Amino acid sequence: MILIHCPYCDEKRPEIEFANAGQAHVVRPVDPSTYDDAQWEAFLFIRANPRGRHHERWRHIHGCGRFFNAVRDTVTDKFEATYKAGKPRR
Amino acid sequence: MSDTLTRNDPVPTTLFTADGVTIRLAPPMARFSLRARQGQALETLLGVKLPKKIGTVKGGIACLGPDEWLLRGAAGTAIPIGDGLPVAITDIGERSVCFTVEGPRAAQLLMSGCPLDLDRFAAGRAARTLFESVEIILIRHAADRFEVEVWRSFADWLWTALTKAASHGP
Repeated sequence: MILIHCPYCDEKRPEIEFANAGQAHVVRPVDPSTYDDAQWEAFLFIRANPRGRHHERWRHIHGCGRFFNAVRDTVTDKFEATYKAGKPRR
Repeated sequence: MSDTLTRNDPVPTTLFTADGVTIRLAPPMARFSLRARQGQALETLLGVKLPKKIGTVKGGIACLGPDEWLLRGAAGTAIPIGDGLPVAITDIGERSVCFTVEGPRAAQLLMSGCPLDLDRFAAGRAARTLFESVEIILIRHAADRFEVEVWRSFADWLWTALTKAASHGP
């Protein structure tokens, strides 16, 4: 079982306590009323799907309940780093 | 119309005994979910010191998350609800039931379904985690004494899982 470091609990916890919550650092529109269809499409639906290093949101759902960001390698499933939500991209 | 309320416990109220471990349904107790971005507001309101580190217990209060605490006390305990303060206090006394798991094999039994490394889960720790697929709050009071908080609707399943695992022997 993979152990994932939760930046809030500050300890490594078993993988099954966590849930993936999609790509991280998707920026919300500052002024949604100015967005056209193409921009909405890009914001809502278009996601990176890299082979390798990927920034993801994870949630410690069966633990402290917090969302945080993680850098994970999609090939090896190795977690490079985890950091609190709101912190700059690593 | 009936004017009496009957308590129906989801699992047997008798002590379950197996080799090296006993499991018992704890008597009803008061439970409150305490939420606040600033723990200070709760401390002032309740006049207690909250544990700061997630996963620890102090004075009957477990810190479950950065803004979440679980207060457990004797049945009938009442606390102020903090009207007008930036806190959320919810009575969750009947949401869950508690199993007391005791004995030299208690940790071994719990590790049969709980993914935490209980060798590194010292007395005085408490954490929300899983047993198999059921969410529990595990509280360790001593090397050989645990309490398992589980939502009432999952209690029957968890009781069966624990007692079955316990009767398999060391």
